Amino acid sequence: MLWTLVRRSVARHRALVLGLAALLCGFQVLLVIVGTNYQREGLFGQVAALVPAFVQEALGGLMIASFAGTVALGFFHPVVMLALSCGGIYVASEPAGEVEHGLVDLIAARPVPRHLLMTRSLLVYAGITAAIVTLMFAANQTAVRLLAPAGVALLARSRLLWVAANLLAVVWCLGAAALAIAAGARRRAAAAGSMALVAVCLYLLHFAAAAWARLRPAARISPFHYYESSPTLLGLSLPVRNIVVLLIATAVLFVIAQVLYARRDL
Amino acid sequence: MSDAIRTESLTKYYGPVVAIESLNLTVNRGEVYGFLGPNGAGKTTTIRILLDLVHATKGRALVDGLDCRRDSVNVRARIGYLPAEMPLYREMSGAGYLDYLAALQREPIDQAWRQRLLSRFDVSDVDLRRRLDDLSHGMKRKFGIIQALMGRAPLLILDEPTSGLDPLMIEAFAETVQELKNEGRTTIFLSSHVLSEVERLCDRVGIIRRGALARQTSIADIRRETPRRVRVFFDGTPPPPPQQLAAALRKSDGRRWDLEWQGPLGDALEALRGLDVADIEIEPFKLDDYVLQVYADHPAAGRG
Repeated sequence: MLWTLVRRSVARHRALVLGLAALLCGFQVLLVIVGTNYQREGLFGQVAALVPAFVQEALGGLMIASFAGTVALGFFHPVVMLALSCGGIYVASEPAGEVEHGLVDLIAARPVPRHLLMTRSLLVYAGITAAIVTLMFAANQTAVRLLAPAGVALLARSRLLWVAANLLAVVWCLGAAALAIAAGARRRAAAAGSMALVAVCLYLLHFAAAAWARLRPAARISPFHYYESSPTLLGLSLPVRNIVVLLIATAVLFVIAQVLYARRDL
Repeated sequence: MSDAIRTESLTKYYGPVVAIESLNLTVNRGEVYGFLGPNGAGKTTTIRILLDLVHATKGRALVDGLDCRRDSVNVRARIGYLPAEMPLYREMSGAGYLDYLAALQREPIDQAWRQRLLSRFDVSDVDLRRRLDDLSHGMKRKFGIIQALMGRAPLLILDEPTSGLDPLMIEAFAETVQELKNEGRTTIFLSSHVLSEVERLCDRVGIIRRGALARQTSIADIRRETPRRVRVFFDGTPPPPPQQLAAALRKSDGRRWDLEWQGPLGDALEALRGLDVADIEIEPFKLDDYVLQVYADHPAAGRG
């Protein structure tokens, strides 16, 4: 029964998934092409001089001024993070859409436990975003192998995998928050739209906190606070703690979503 | 044996709005029950509580003796439901839609029965392959009826089942209900504003008004209780009415009596024996008159 629900949900989001995957994978290839051109023309030094320190910090520190950093940018560029987060948020808001369009009457009038609908949505948004991140990684590695200039220093694959896993944990956390909102909402646009807005605000809070120390305590509520790509890419630390914090937050938000959905009128 | 449906002091408030209040109704197993009421009287809320889509504020609802809230999944396993507004996955084909909903049932669908429903409701293979979004309103409704009936659930809850159907399909629906009724294994809880349909198909009706059950009675009892309009024509001036008819006489006009007769019509005809009667018109029984009278007892009927 759960897999029937999952298959239907994936089919409904097929166009969004394909579009987002194509966009983000294309961006990975584009970054490799750009990195290759900069490397060949020796432009990375000029890039480092042009970018202010706090922007560099937000974009991965000095890593962006190298080929390895540029090809990794597709995993921590704000547009990528927010596009992937918004995709996950939209998919996770499906329960509100089912209430809005009355589809829940068909499903929940059958012997389908309510919690399965929430579990379905969790599996679908987590699975879809994981698949997209996997495709991004595959596109990145394929493009590097085919296009990277000979002799250029490359990132260890394991470091990029840790960054991708950390990104995915951020997206899952935001998706779980969207699921909790959708569990009590009657309009999908309201649930997904408000959560997307919150995600942008949380990113801006994290970004501003990098430049303004007084904001740093407040930035702890932002999932982006727990996404530090630079130390991971530089091989200084692994983001295990950050990923654990984000997964715990995801689990808590999922439980809240289940409770809200179990108690609501559909 | 427990009732097919039983509600006990069932109450639902939406904030300050009272949808239903202290609703007590019983539906016997194997009967076709018409659930009537003006718009906003609480019919859909009651149905949604039975399906645990909405939670009651007070009281409880039972299906086959199982609590609709605490034993929700088992209750829903016994119900085939047709909502008034037919929700559809627009991008799906008709066949995909039925297969998907069948996969959410506990028991596998009897394919022979499904095929019989498809042919009875004149749904062709071409219709099954078309996208639901491309189908007419009536065709979508047919898919709605088929999905509700295909699981052979012991309890069918049908909300405005024939809305949008052509007369042929209304007849097909009536035949299907009759067939299920004759088999005696299915209880049908039918909400409809088409009173001729209710009169034809239902054994009993419950009339809900202002969220409470105003009447619950059998069609046969309503027939007995409702006065019949009888017009008696004479060739000349009508004679004085016999004693048995005097109380029923509403108007004596030139060559005609207008009677409102309550009870077996044979007694009225017997009383007319020996009079110089030219013609008699007996208006057929109409459930509408009874229902409208119940509605009119409280003109403010319908809230929430």
